[in-house]
Amino acid sequence: MRIPLFVAVAQWALLLALSLLVIVMYRQLGHAFSTRRPAGELGPPVGSSAAGFDYMRVSDGALQRFEPGGGMPVLLAFVEPSCQACEKLVAAVGAVARAGDLSGLRVLLLMSDPPSYLQISEVFRSCSLEIGRITTRATVVAYKATATPLLVAIDGQGFVRSAGPAIEADEVRAFRQACLLTPAATLTVVPAGPRTDRHEAADPVVGSE
Amino acid sequence: MEILILAAKSAIAVMLLIAAGAKLSDPHSFAAAVRLFVPLRTPPRLVRIGALGIALLELALGAASLSSPAASWLNAVIFGLACVFVIVSVAGFAFHRGRACLCFGALSRREFDTWSIVRSVIIAVGAVVGMLDAPSASVQVGPALRVVLLIAGLLLAVVASTAARALAIAAAPTRPTAR
Repeated sequence: MRIPLFVAVAQWALLLALSLLVIVMYRQLGHAFSTRRPAGELGPPVGSSAAGFDYMRVSDGALQRFEPGGGMPVLLAFVEPSCQACEKLVAAVGAVARAGDLSGLRVLLLMSDPPSYLQISEVFRSCSLEIGRITTRATVVAYKATATPLLVAIDGQGFVRSAGPAIEADEVRAFRQACLLTPAATLTVVPAGPRTDRHEAADPVVGSE
Repeated sequence: MEILILAAKSAIAVMLLIAAGAKLSDPHSFAAAVRLFVPLRTPPRLVRIGALGIALLELALGAASLSSPAASWLNAVIFGLACVFVIVSVAGFAFHRGRACLCFGALSRREFDTWSIVRSVIIAVGAVVGMLDAPSASVQVGPALRVVLLIAGLLLAVVASTAARALAIAAAPTRPTAR
């Protein structure tokens, strides 16, 4: 039986398209496995009081005290320069901030890597947002920041409004909205999928470089 | 030239099937893109139905074009659809520059920009090439082969839908939900 030429051409087109789609799914599967983490493990419970903590401001090495509440909503980002997913989050936060979408709230990036690690990441190096280094393990425990990246939205009264992993600018905007919620509203952020980097937050000790 | 015509016809049909499958994986997101081109007062339900209709039209045209290559009227319909793509990309560029077009659902994060116009023009040119006369012996497909092509085309749409859904898991924003 002679096969029409169209069928021969069409089968190659179909084969090519199917191959491309399989490659897309294969890559996505690899990404999912490399970033897999049980959901609900990260971040403080929504509605709980955010904990205060000390941190070292990376720009000048000064010790600072973070106290939630006081009327100013805060977006805390637990990130590490050595974590690839964190670079994406920092870039996204920077982009959202430059667009003016983070006005009216304080943004604090917290890391436990030594400040010298900033040199390994262009994104962190060029970041104009406030970066602090966690000084005690208690902060990591209080915020359940056992993996990065982790975003925590704290409202003006010092209550956690949402917490979870994030990478994209749209996610940052969702956390920003959670920061600005009225105390009467209770929100929880449903992560779209497990996506945190496997990089664990190290037990930080200032001056251990 | 014959190969070029048949390749263009196949490529356009395959593209329509992938686009339809990807859109059908998340019609709500595609409806958001459709909303950009309809009056603000259009009921959301109508917009969603319209978005679903577009995806199903692409699916039907892609499957029909792949399984019935001898039907020349289909080539004209597909060319008309390609012209609509050009109009939409030009309108998107003019009024919604930088917004996601979601033409391939989550498979592509392309936005309305100059390249989107170029791409849609290339598709239209492909549709024109597909309209050219090919020897009838090359496009006369028997019933059994038609069924095989139809099944292969629908399978491609399902795979595209699955791939788009897999990509959407990572791409979807974290949504705050009231409780």
